[in-house]
Amino acid sequence: MRTLRILFAKELSAILASPIGYTVAAVFLLVLGYTFSLTLFATKVANLQYIFHQMYVLSILLVPVLTMRSFAEERRSETLELLLTAPVGELSIVLAKYAATLTLVLGMFAASLVYALILDRYGEPDWGPIYAGYLALMLHASLLVAVGLLMSSLTENQVVAAALSIGTFLMLWFADSVSYLLPPPFDSVAINLSLIGHFKPMVSGSVFLSDVGYFVTASMLALFLAAWGLAQR
Amino acid sequence: MTITPSDAAPDDVSTRMADAPAISAVDVSKKYGQVSALDRLTLDVRTGEVFGLLGPNGSGKTTFMRLLAGYLLPSAGRLTVAGLDVLNDSLAVRRRIGYVPESAPLYHHMRVGEFLTFMARLRGVPEREIASAVARVVARLALSAVLDKPTGKLSRGYRQRTALAQALIHDPDILILDEPTNGLDPRQIIEMRQLIRSLAGRHTVLMSSHILSEVQKTSDRVAVLLNGRLLGVRAIADTPDLEEWFLSLT
Repeated sequence: MRTLRILFAKELSAILASPIGYTVAAVFLLVLGYTFSLTLFATKVANLQYIFHQMYVLSILLVPVLTMRSFAEERRSETLELLLTAPVGELSIVLAKYAATLTLVLGMFAASLVYALILDRYGEPDWGPIYAGYLALMLHASLLVAVGLLMSSLTENQVVAAALSIGTFLMLWFADSVSYLLPPPFDSVAINLSLIGHFKPMVSGSVFLSDVGYFVTASMLALFLAAWGLAQR
Repeated sequence: MTITPSDAAPDDVSTRMADAPAISAVDVSKKYGQVSALDRLTLDVRTGEVFGLLGPNGSGKTTFMRLLAGYLLPSAGRLTVAGLDVLNDSLAVRRRIGYVPESAPLYHHMRVGEFLTFMARLRGVPEREIASAVARVVARLALSAVLDKPTGKLSRGYRQRTALAQALIHDPDILILDEPTNGLDPRQIIEMRQLIRSLAGRHTVLMSSHILSEVQKTSDRVAVLLNGRLLGVRAIADTPDLEEWFLSLT
């Protein structure tokens, strides 16, 4: 646990020392503020569903920018050699990077709580879908960060890592669309792999264990594969 | 800017590890696909000595060091460090060694002091001993002038010293130094050589180089590697003309 804490602090300081985190957060909040204002004035409805979908899309585009450097940069600068020759397990290294990046993403999401407070001040929002929406976003972020780290662990080129991540996220997003082209049972596999298919019900307030399980399982699998990949050297 | 010599007598090490070799490799091979980087290497490094690995680029020196440090896994053979198997006791082995890769990598977002503190924590130095451990290596490697400097702004000489400081921070039994004088100016080379010699006895040092004179002036024994194969091992004291011996082997 001590090792994990030490590595987490190091990862967080690396994120905070880099302009990438601030740039991503600024872009995220700027686009979100713009969308929120437009939606609110256009619809005059006190709900955050549209904002949640916006955050879903922005995460898919921006999380790879945050995760791309995690392992790729360590590989390129050869500091990974320092980490892997220190008495620490590969899983600790992966979990620390995961926790630090997820902290930043959740921090960005937390800033959007101000919109919920605005709605509460001037309207009567239904809090159930808002709570469920934030749960969905947290799970979504967890999966994206885990898969992004896995992709970063495969290469020493940050751009390649980001491209692989975005490609994987888009494939998962549109997996249910591919299902129409596939014969059974592959069609249902494709439907069940769909990111949006598991995200949408939660954002509208319906939390199913199967949806939560999808995000948790996929995150754990990606983290395990990243740690396993590091151990195969 | 002088490096403080070791305060330990060379004989102190006898109490640290018995008579077993500090490093033992038996038929160790490493393959990348079909390419053999190391071919059935058998070698012992005695406790407390400075052992030089000599060979041209691509001869397998770095691969051997990375195997010892736990960065790579051997394809075949048995490799022990301080009597511990590098495969089965990987974490225990990593606690016993200090390793400086060839490029002397550092975290550029950290200052020298922060970096050494981080590495001390990572290598398991108890929290209450970290400040004294950092002070010890800072004094020994004359790093006080750059303690608050970001590691990304260090000169090559200071970078190499900082990398060596992180390897010494937990006072390991065995030091593995990959091309420690690479890129240093003549004065820094002399200082690094003196430092490595001062480490002998208290630590077992395995260092690599492709410069004959470096190995001759620093090591107690030397091994020559070529194309992943061990060509010979000699005591420097028994090898008045290292160049001639090297040429006869290669």
